[in-house]
Amino acid sequence: MGHRWMDIFSRRELVWILIERNLKIRYKSSFLGFFWSLLAPLSLIVVYSVFLGLIRFPMSLPVLVTSIIIWQFLAMCMGDALQSILGNANLVTKAAFPRVILPLSMVGANAINFLFSFAVLSVYLLIARVEFGALIYLPGIMLTQAALCLGMSLIIGTANVFFRDTEHVLSVVMLAWFFLTPVIYGPELVLDNFPRWVQVLFFANPMTGILVAYREVLLSAHVGEGGLVALSFSVAWGIFFLGWGIFHAAEPRFGDEL
Amino acid sequence: MSGASNQSPPIVVEQVGKRFRLRRSGTRSLKSAFLDILRSPRGARRETFWALQDINFTVNRGETLGIVGANGAGKSTLLSLLAGTKVPTTGRIQTTGTVSSLLELGAGFHPDLSGRENVFLAGAIMGLSRRQMRARFDAIVEFAGLHDFIDQPVKHYSSGMYVRLGFAVAVEVDPDILLIDEVLAVGDENFQKKCLRKMEDFRRAGKTMLIISHDLGTIQSISDRILFLQDGRVAGLGAPDEVVGRYRAAARARQTGGHEREWGTGEASIQTVITEDADGRPADTFQAGDTLRCRIRYQAHQRIENPVFGFAVADASARVVFGSNTQIGGVNIPAIEGEGEITLVLQDIPFGSGNYLLSFSLHSADHRTNYHRLDHYFSISVVNPDSFEGVCRIPTRWEVPT
Repeated sequence: MGHRWMDIFSRRELVWILIERNLKIRYKSSFLGFFWSLLAPLSLIVVYSVFLGLIRFPMSLPVLVTSIIIWQFLAMCMGDALQSILGNANLVTKAAFPRVILPLSMVGANAINFLFSFAVLSVYLLIARVEFGALIYLPGIMLTQAALCLGMSLIIGTANVFFRDTEHVLSVVMLAWFFLTPVIYGPELVLDNFPRWVQVLFFANPMTGILVAYREVLLSAHVGEGGLVALSFSVAWGIFFLGWGIFHAAEPRFGDEL
Repeated sequence: MSGASNQSPPIVVEQVGKRFRLRRSGTRSLKSAFLDILRSPRGARRETFWALQDINFTVNRGETLGIVGANGAGKSTLLSLLAGTKVPTTGRIQTTGTVSSLLELGAGFHPDLSGRENVFLAGAIMGLSRRQMRARFDAIVEFAGLHDFIDQPVKHYSSGMYVRLGFAVAVEVDPDILLIDEVLAVGDENFQKKCLRKMEDFRRAGKTMLIISHDLGTIQSISDRILFLQDGRVAGLGAPDEVVGRYRAAARARQTGGHEREWGTGEASIQTVITEDADGRPADTFQAGDTLRCRIRYQAHQRIENPVFGFAVADASARVVFGSNTQIGGVNIPAIEGEGEITLVLQDIPFGSGNYLLSFSLHSADHRTNYHRLDHYFSISVVNPDSFEGVCRIPTRWEVPT
């Protein structure tokens, strides 16, 4: 694995240019351009505040918008992952370079987009006067989420090269994943009402522990299940290594399949 | 081999083979993969074919190697292997130095990005830093002749502009090895000349080039050696004139089944024969029962009295199936002089499915002088829905006593 990271490091210019390209293309033909990455989370906060004002929903606005913005990072990566290899077939069939740079730069572009959203969110959280927790853990949580996003993207990007109906499978999986993750509900729903083995399964979903950890450090929403959060984090990194392995095992055949 | 350098050659290809899996219909879905596994538990059984086999060659520094071969002979696959975009199934490929490929010019461009952005992207893909690209940028724009359009999205470019920018990037990145696939066929004449000049500069700078082209004249003149691929194997490697000659002969032999021969005294000659269908449209594939018209164009260099035109149809293994001539057919041609044309009409083709070779002759009435003979020179294919033993179908019926 080490020599692969060396390869990527030596091609870091390409990684940056591809990240830049991905961001540029996203906002290329829009009037407001890059401002959308700031406007989108802002409008999300506004819409949900109206929504929560109109109906009774058992979640506070800061918790809800924080969760949704964090979930969106994963959701955007999963959507883009399908085309990360297939959509770049012209590059893959034309030149030799470490293919992992394609999904990596895609996740990188989404990570930058996420950081912009996160900046808007932070300003909102300051205004809403929430009580922050141990912010020192934030980079570690973000890195773990990014590793999960990259691991999943590597699996999905590879699968889509060989099986073109990956897209349909993914849309079902993402819908189920969304509701299995405490995005629009609190983890207490499961922790208070279900036996231990269900709780373990609940946290075997890496996004559960990641979200719980984010809420803990950003909103001081204490859950006190350190062991279960550690399980989630381990699964996240496990998926990262699994995706890395699958991708590189399949890489030599990309040129033939595209 | 030329250039006795003590450094290792830039391209070494050893025992290389490339096997592809064949797909019955388009891309696979999860469902079909699943069904395949159910049908044969030890993984899906797939048909494979070897696009390349036993390929061995070395290209020396500063050498230009041309690659010729029929469509499907494996030329583009070989270049993809050298570019590193495909991985050989067997053997080893070693390239030394940076490789820039012109497989599909400008294929890596993104339509929504400007020419400028695409130039930097293409440079990064080939392994150059932004700083290195900035130093080359003006030369690229200059070579492509796109000053006024470089900040426009490339989707607004014409195909010519696209190709020009692609070529400019590929050559200005100053690679050690340049792979060129059929790019001499694109762009206007002016740009083609520019490309050829650039390739000449490359040669003089001691760079290594591999060129695929169907333009035999050009490839013959710019290559130091030529590699001839046939059905995925090396059928020749050596001096351009010799190998191109062999390729030309093989290409014709492939059409005629390898039995072609031409001779005659030359007082008159058959210039060409055009095969047509009943409506006079040029054709080389016929259904059983169709009419085949052969328009024989001849030229008599002197006046020839009572000439006889003959023809024969042979099957793929060169056995004559049927032959006749104007004398037997009772057609009297008093004399020919200069250019002219005579048409042979074969009605109701009775042959079974397959390829057939046509021979034509022009000789004197006493058969003593052969002015010109073309043996197995033209080929046609026949499609016959009926199956039977032998070469041609005879109308038959069975009478069974009741």
